[in-house]
Amino acid sequence: MDAITDVFFDYVPVRTFWRVLLFAHFGVAAALLAATTLQSVAVLMPVRQAAGNFVSRVRAAPAASYVKPITILYVLNFLFGCWVYVKYRTYVRIPMEQLGYWWTVGSFEFKEHVMTMGIAMLPAYWYFWRQPLTEQYAAIRKWLVVFLAFSVWYAFLVGHVANDFRGVGA
Amino acid sequence: MTQTLEVHQGVSQLDRAPATAAPRAATTEISRAGIFAITFGISFMLLYTVFERLNWPFFTYHPAVGKLDFWMQRPRSGEGPPMYWYGWLVLSGMSAVAVSTIATLLPRPWLYRATAFCCVLAALWPALLAAGGFLADQVSFDAEFLKSVWLAGGVAFVGAAAITYLASAQWVQRVWVSWLWIVPVGGLAVLGYSLKSYFLR
Repeated sequence: MDAITDVFFDYVPVRTFWRVLLFAHFGVAAALLAATTLQSVAVLMPVRQAAGNFVSRVRAAPAASYVKPITILYVLNFLFGCWVYVKYRTYVRIPMEQLGYWWTVGSFEFKEHVMTMGIAMLPAYWYFWRQPLTEQYAAIRKWLVVFLAFSVWYAFLVGHVANDFRGVGA
Repeated sequence: MTQTLEVHQGVSQLDRAPATAAPRAATTEISRAGIFAITFGISFMLLYTVFERLNWPFFTYHPAVGKLDFWMQRPRSGEGPPMYWYGWLVLSGMSAVAVSTIATLLPRPWLYRATAFCCVLAALWPALLAAGGFLADQVSFDAEFLKSVWLAGGVAFVGAAAITYLASAQWVQRVWVSWLWIVPVGGLAVLGYSLKSYFLR
């Protein structure tokens, strides 16, 4: 991982590199947040026809159309997270512990576990959302969508708090 | 005839399934790819929880010095904090791939029962260990043996075997896909509880 990072350091200042990486992590997370939220709405509150206001149209969107972008974005952001986590461990977490921000440290530790569970579920998520969709697995499909949305929301909020402690713009 | 078809098409469009459903089939047999994907999810989440609790990383990364050590290494002076998470991920991933590959070769009834056995064992073991620890602290006589990991493991093994043996074939089949939500909920409960020291300071 250091070797990959060192290649970038030949062209970009170290501080700028980590800021850009963290911002990319945030940007992909925001897109993922939107996709998982929209899919959750479409799955939990489906309507037959797209009509009426914005919310009704969101509810009527075909949930299966979100699967590919969510899978790609989830994997991409997981990899970004793995990379930026190195910086978090040395540059952010140590001062967090020194200043006694234990809730933030604990919440971030839990984020690791939540995201790990999420990435482990992706192959099954992809499988159950393949066409043709069977009524038999509607419940597990719903659960997978809800869990992935929960994991993304939790990671986003906790990551945002960690960033506010020491990150881009902090 | 043409008119009938057109009318039928019109009704089909009006009566289309909810947006979430798209084209639906009644039931399908899970393919080998499906067996692999589902078993991968269940086994990865289960093994990750176990490896994290036992602290068994495949390797330890020392980010301050950019050094990688095989298996688990305690922090060393001058080398900064060690990172185990990558090691847990890799070990869980490799083990889950192996388990899932084997799963695709097993007859389905065996697979359903083996999955149920592993998941029940994973639930019973920490539960019995926690109960043993609680009991050992409550009783007036020396009951330190109740805190033994292996005693809890032995009892859990027998319990899981009994439950899996007595469970009907229909039940283990029906619950098989449900392990995909039971395991992460249980795993996160165990992992979350293990972090309580951060929240109770």
